[in-house]
Amino acid sequence: MQFLQPQNISGEKKVLNLTPEKCTGCRTCELACSFKHSQEFRPSASRVSVLTWESSGVSVPMLCLQCDNASCLKVCPTGAIARTESGPITINESRCLKCKMCAVACKMGNVGYDEQTHTMLKCDFCNGDPVCAKFCPSGAIAYEDAVTVNLKKKKVYAEKLMQLLQEGDSECSVG
Amino acid sequence: MFGWIGRLLRVNLTSGKITKLPLNQTEAKAYIGARGLGTKLWYNEVNPAIDPLSPENNLIFATGPLTGTLATSGGRYNVVCKSPLTGTIAASNSGGYWGPELKYAGYDALIIEGKAEQPVYIWIDDDQVEIRDASQLWGKTVFETTDALRLATKDEAKVACIGPAGEKLVKFAGILNDYTRAAGRSGVGAVMGAKNLKAIAVRGTHGVKAADPEGFMAAILRIRQMLKEHPVTGQGLATYGSNILVNIINESGGLPVRNFRDSGKFATADATSGEALTEKYLIRNKGCMGCSISCGRINKVSSGKFKTFGEGPEYETAWGYGADCGIDNLEAIIKANNLCNELGLDTITMAATIACAMELYENGYIKQEDSGGPLNFGNVEAIVALTRQTAYREGFGDQLAEGSYRLAAKYDHPELSMSVKKQELPAYDPRALQGLGLNYATSNRGGCHVRGYLTSPEILGIPEKLDNLATEGKAGWVKTFQDLTAAVDSAGICLFTTFGLGGPEIAEQLKTITGIDYSVEDVLTCGERIWNLERLINLKSGLTQADDCLPPRFFTEPMKVGPNQGQLSKLAEMLPEYYQLRGWDENGKPTEERLKALAI
Amino acid sequence: MKVSFFATLRDITGIKDSERFQAATVEELLNNLCVSYGEKFAAWIWEQGQLSNNIMILVNGRAIHHLNGIQTRLKATDEIAIFPKVAGG
Repeated sequence: MQFLQPQNISGEKKVLNLTPEKCTGCRTCELACSFKHSQEFRPSASRVSVLTWESSGVSVPMLCLQCDNASCLKVCPTGAIARTESGPITINESRCLKCKMCAVACKMGNVGYDEQTHTMLKCDFCNGDPVCAKFCPSGAIAYEDAVTVNLKKKKVYAEKLMQLLQEGDSECSVG
Repeated sequence: MFGWIGRLLRVNLTSGKITKLPLNQTEAKAYIGARGLGTKLWYNEVNPAIDPLSPENNLIFATGPLTGTLATSGGRYNVVCKSPLTGTIAASNSGGYWGPELKYAGYDALIIEGKAEQPVYIWIDDDQVEIRDASQLWGKTVFETTDALRLATKDEAKVACIGPAGEKLVKFAGILNDYTRAAGRSGVGAVMGAKNLKAIAVRGTHGVKAADPEGFMAAILRIRQMLKEHPVTGQGLATYGSNILVNIINESGGLPVRNFRDSGKFATADATSGEALTEKYLIRNKGCMGCSISCGRINKVSSGKFKTFGEGPEYETAWGYGADCGIDNLEAIIKANNLCNELGLDTITMAATIACAMELYENGYIKQEDSGGPLNFGNVEAIVALTRQTAYREGFGDQLAEGSYRLAAKYDHPELSMSVKKQELPAYDPRALQGLGLNYATSNRGGCHVRGYLTSPEILGIPEKLDNLATEGKAGWVKTFQDLTAAVDSAGICLFTTFGLGGPEIAEQLKTITGIDYSVEDVLTCGERIWNLERLINLKSGLTQADDCLPPRFFTEPMKVGPNQGQLSKLAEMLPEYYQLRGWDENGKPTEERLKALAI
Repeated sequence: MKVSFFATLRDITGIKDSERFQAATVEELLNNLCVSYGEKFAAWIWEQGQLSNNIMILVNGRAIHHLNGIQTRLKATDEIAIFPKVAGG
């Protein structure tokens, strides 16, 4: 019986899964993120940013995707940046010098610094309940199981094959 | 302050003086923000009798306490001034990201006074505000201007600007922000053009605070869920956009056809519908700041003579260039819509003015030498060509640029202008929607559906289904809708949320963000106060009870086809009751007692 | 009679309109349509045995709210339009 039970159900790893083709550019994520972290609606202090190309009608949400081989973590001189057991790399405020080396090291610009509150801006998964995903109206940002996240994408395309095969089956039965 | 920033920005273009002043908290509480507060700020300092295109006409960009927050669809701001089209107060509402950015820069509203000697733009970078030369931008389209200003200032700056139409003082030029969102109606773009002001670029890094953060978040989570579960705000608008309406209005016999001449049913309306747009030309949805509905349509016509890329069209536009001009070519409609955005025109008045010209032409009042070519209903090339000509005031476009009323009057047939207070009516025939007809006649900015959207109960069954042909009780419905709408517009949230929400949800959002104990009654009272102030301004501008009317066609020409065949408007049955419910005298003037009770 | 479908309903029916249905009342027509178009369609139409509040039905352009509801009688020449609840503006 024991192996029928899901293992490690509470410690299951989750990731923020981005699907830019669903993004409407509404920036609800920026509002939710800044309010959660600074009790103000202030996109400039958001850990997530939506970049929009108006000339092609495309928007892309950008935030820290928690690199396996994280430059921010490596470059931090005080060890303030560390990976938590549940996945995200977080910054320990009390040990942080605000030297901003992590912001320099992150090639994607996903670590920032807020001049007004003197805080490093980096996604921390909101302690396991990321508000960007919670509020995203289109599903462009979703908080999902790390192991199966790519299966969803595969399934969309596999479905086409499935339909093709199904059509073949029904033709056979008619014929 | 909470919700509000507590500060206003004043820019005098004549003197170049820039000042920052505190927001009057009593006024903010009483007029909420955006449309209401903007109107109050305008009335405080401007004589309503002034010429709308003179330097004395202040141009006010105002946000609401919910603008730029997680409130439901809180991306809105209003542009307030006196309208050159109607001579009434104009409050033109727009979404996008510009309004929130103004708040993040630290201002509830921007008051622009005077007139610059040369073309200028204003650059607001938090506390730093500059008036800069815009001579290189003059003549450029909305897209070109926006791109150029993001290069000249900051890439993340938000830009509101006018196109060539505003520069040329086209009486229905709009102000476009974030490329494609329009404060479209009533000619606010012409007022900006008359000030030699091409654009306002803004970048803000500050925040908006909530009085009760936990209460606000709890309310928002619940209210957003209501929108998600509602078939209109959770599904219909996202899937098909506002143009979902073409078919139901047509099937219900309410679609105006060929300048309202052949109203009732447009046989090929489905070709111009939201369903057709979604199937053939939709790239993806677009959402304004913080919006969960995302009704915006990014469109693309990939090839052919109407090849284009842009945003829209909304229902009113698809109808205006469509059924109202006798056209069912959706590609031409999309092209004309995108041109309006690029050149800075109000789509409703532009399309309806062309429709009016078409009827004048078919009746022989406008000759081919006047119009520069044939102008029968159904001429798809004409809608695109005339839109461009109007924006630049070229050829016949110079006459169209005055709007349908002045055009029809010029050819001695003002009765063929389908307008109220010289502003063109939108996409619902008032002979088929009696309550909406009363709203049209009494709207404070002239022909307009979004002052009191009676289509909702009369056709769509929201919040309940009323008989569209009945007049009984409609005066009360119109008053309530007008008051609630004024409050919603002033809060800084989108009117579309009211398909899924009601007064309690609006009040709760206002209460938790501002910390002021707004009840539903308070919200409606604020709306009524705003409505009466707008009315007062219009009366002081010289409008009278006689302007609370509809074009004569609706009283003399019965609808020709469809389920409402034979119907006429019964406005006279409803108007006296409306005045009475408003606490106005029989001449439509607010009584002293009423004004006192509303603390105006 | 001609039955027309709009918006999301077209995704279920796969067609815009049909003249193959015959019924004496709106209720009978709806039941026939549910048989043809299955559960997804029925889920739009009925809510706990009543006509769903999320559906709008017009007979010759008049909402059945103002006729006789689902008991509204139909003739062979009638045009019936069926919409999910929609709005815009």
